[in-house]
Amino acid sequence: MSQSENVIEIRNLSKVYRDFWGRPKVRALNALSLDIKKGEVFGLLGPNGSGKTTTLKLLLGLLFPTEGEVKILGKSAADVSKNERIGYLPEESYLYRFLNAYETLDFYGRLFNMTAAQRKERSEKLLDLVKLAPQSRRRQLKEYSKGMTRRIGVAQALINDPDLVMLDEPTSGLDPLGNRDMKDLILDLKAQGKTVLMCSHLLADVQDVCDRIAILYGGELKVMGRVDELLKAQDETQIRSSKLSDAALKEVQEVLKRHDANVINIDQPTASLEDLFLKTVQESRERPGHRNVIDRQSVT
Amino acid sequence: MYFDPNEYLLNPYISFLNWAVVVGCLTFVVLFISMVNLVATRGANGIGIFFDELGEMTADLFHLSPRRIWALTRLTYTEAIRRKALSVFVVFGLLFMFAGWFMGDSKEIKPDQVKVYISFVLTTISWLTLPVVLILCCFGIPEDIRLRSIHTVVTKPARRVEIVLGRMIGIWLIGCLVLAVMAVVGHFWIVRQIPAESQPLLTCRVPVYGTNIEFLDREGNFARSGVNVGDIWAFRSYIEGATKARAIWTFRNVDESSLDSDGNLNFENSFSAFRSYKGDMTRPLFYDIKLFNPAKNLAYTTDPQPVNEFRHKLDKIPRKVTVDNVQYDILKDFVNEKRELNVEVSCIDREQYIGMARSDLFIRMPDRPFWMGYWKAVLGIALTLLLITMIGVSASTMVKGPIAAVLTFVIYFLSLKDNHQFMDQLVFGQVQGGGFLESIYRLVMHMGPSQELPANPAFTVVKFFDWTLNNFLWLCRHVIPYSQYFNMPEFVSNGFDVPWETSILPSLLVTAAFIIPCVVMGYFALRIRELESK
Ligand SMILES: Nc1ncnc2c1ncn2[C@@H]1O[C@H](COP(=O)(O)OP(=O)(O)OP(=O)(O)O)[C@@H](O)[C@H]1O
Ligand SMILES: [Mg+2]
Repeated sequence: MSQSENVIEIRNLSKVYRDFWGRPKVRALNALSLDIKKGEVFGLLGPNGSGKTTTLKLLLGLLFPTEGEVKILGKSAADVSKNERIGYLPEESYLYRFLNAYETLDFYGRLFNMTAAQRKERSEKLLDLVKLAPQSRRRQLKEYSKGMTRRIGVAQALINDPDLVMLDEPTSGLDPLGNRDMKDLILDLKAQGKTVLMCSHLLADVQDVCDRIAILYGGELKVMGRVDELLKAQDETQIRSSKLSDAALKEVQEVLKRHDANVINIDQPTASLEDLFLKTVQESRERPGHRNVIDRQSVT
Repeated sequence: MYFDPNEYLLNPYISFLNWAVVVGCLTFVVLFISMVNLVATRGANGIGIFFDELGEMTADLFHLSPRRIWALTRLTYTEAIRRKALSVFVVFGLLFMFAGWFMGDSKEIKPDQVKVYISFVLTTISWLTLPVVLILCCFGIPEDIRLRSIHTVVTKPARRVEIVLGRMIGIWLIGCLVLAVMAVVGHFWIVRQIPAESQPLLTCRVPVYGTNIEFLDREGNFARSGVNVGDIWAFRSYIEGATKARAIWTFRNVDESSLDSDGNLNFENSFSAFRSYKGDMTRPLFYDIKLFNPAKNLAYTTDPQPVNEFRHKLDKIPRKVTVDNVQYDILKDFVNEKRELNVEVSCIDREQYIGMARSDLFIRMPDRPFWMGYWKAVLGIALTLLLITMIGVSASTMVKGPIAAVLTFVIYFLSLKDNHQFMDQLVFGQVQGGGFLESIYRLVMHMGPSQELPANPAFTVVKFFDWTLNNFLWLCRHVIPYSQYFNMPEFVSNGFDVPWETSILPSLLVTAAFIIPCVVMGYFALRIRELESK
């Protein structure tokens, strides 16, 4: 039963980019296996060139795997009919630059066989949702700034009210306000029970919105698990309170000592996903092949 | 693409069959190339993937959505317009503004001048629309791939077949729009250039040609041809005057509709005269036309008629003719039960010759208005555009824009009349000494073409190779569209209507023949390849 709950199943997926003559150039992805469940927000992290975009493209059938296989919404990546329920925001907004915002959404709406009324209603709603200024909606996309293009890109990805949304760096190019909106949007999608797979470099946001994350390094899966589990240091307790006086602090330390606890440090808490990320990258660089998977959900 | 109109006239069934065979072969070749490509890029799995894709493609055909195709059509269309494809009108406008200067505007117009006007307009239109369409169709999809905007389309439920069809239709519509505007302007321009009194020259004659021509030599025996008087245009044969030499035509389907409003049967000819001695140069040579029905042993001969050299000559024969004081009805008494009419032409002047070919004598049916032929010619250009679009779009799914453009242009170039005939020679010319490999072997071994090759497996392979190569050439020759069918402007500028059997029908079929292979090619090219720019 849990099998059918998987919106995405990736098994042993590898991708080798080849040149024109078929000679291998880069091994962009190596034996990746992961499942993404219905209704969760999954973050794919990793330094530049670690294979995040490659993974998304393999899932969408834009690239063909060298090895391994992919099931998405229970269908193969090559199946066009799966796209009915998928929304995809590419890394850069590859849209038609000579169309304006309305025409763009209208065009993509038609590809979903939506009627004129549906398209009109949905476009208005989405343009409001992504907060594209009304006065720029009739301008051609080639005149748009990066952030505006990004917004219309997101609107385009949601035109069909998809069950599975794949966002490749949704926040790139957005201003802080836009970032905030994006976060809300993703949480909103989650609240509607949609599955979201996103790549991002903004770790603070990922930490806030993602249920689970995977960190890739050099095409290999290094860390995977629930965000809260990953960030919970197993054998440490963090105590947080309002600022203590020196005397009070001394007292607390004494109590801890009495209980044989070893005080490591008492400090303000840090943006810890960043720590985890940096640690993972550092470790991967030093100890290739090492892997740390904490995935409670898939164990139970 | 192969569709022989003569063959069609004789046996439509066979000719459709041949046509279908070529379409089938072409589709098969396209599929085969796709499979080889798949095996080369994905190894042993390739074959499995190929059959999966074949199934997918078939399924796609049943899931085609007009709305999606229309969306892609509109996209293509908008793209072209916003990318200023319509600036071609500037060139068009300039050409027509200044054309008047060079063409002159005399009061009296000769038939040749009319021809120049018409062919100027139609040629200009085709040479302006063709490049526009060629560029649009060859660069559209490659740009889409390069900019990766295609990623947002193929991750929607748009099928590959729809993408290909949408492109084709969109570009063709643009081409047709440009064509229509230019054609309307051109039409007005032609009519305005020709003064009122010369307007009757703007007409479309409807000829009915004889199905064949036979010759009798001077003794009255059947001959393969008449006399060759050393004319370099050897297509006319000559008959000698005041002998038993004759040229005999058979016209089919002669009935009431062949008569003009006054009930006359009109024969038009363009015979040429050849004088073996000078004689009186101002006096024309004379011929007569004889209708005859061997079954009833009946013949009617016209009065001697002068040969109208370099120009057309019209002979009206009334429906009721009198032979030996008995009145006969041409349709009842001369046209036989197979609705055929036999016509014999003889030259009257002793030791002079009159030259003729099959197309030099025809029954002239009631004329059609000029605009009818003109717009049929425009249709011919539209079909050419469609053909170029289909070939260009499907080529552009495989290779980059410039290469696709060159490829399409080469195909178009090969389709031109002379080049097509050269291919014919290549394919059908080699008879002696075997094919490519075999003749090389013979060359190297100093072996004559008639010597038997030793029987061993190596030569079987050689022969097989040659057989394959020859069949490949045969296919190429049949696949390259024969642009002469599409050359409808030529009829119109010569004052003829565009015939259905020898021009419109073959053009339609040739165009139709490309739809399936082109769509199959487009589908596979977009499916089996990763749509990343490389
Ligand atoms: N079309 C391509 N041809 C060849 N190599 C490619 C291609 N696309 C990506 N790669 C290589 O594959 C590897 C992974 O690239 P990918 O785009 O998946 O990284 P990414 O994780 O998305 O990086 P970023 O964070 O910069 O977006 C890189 O080494 C890259 O150079
Ligand atoms: Mg990326």
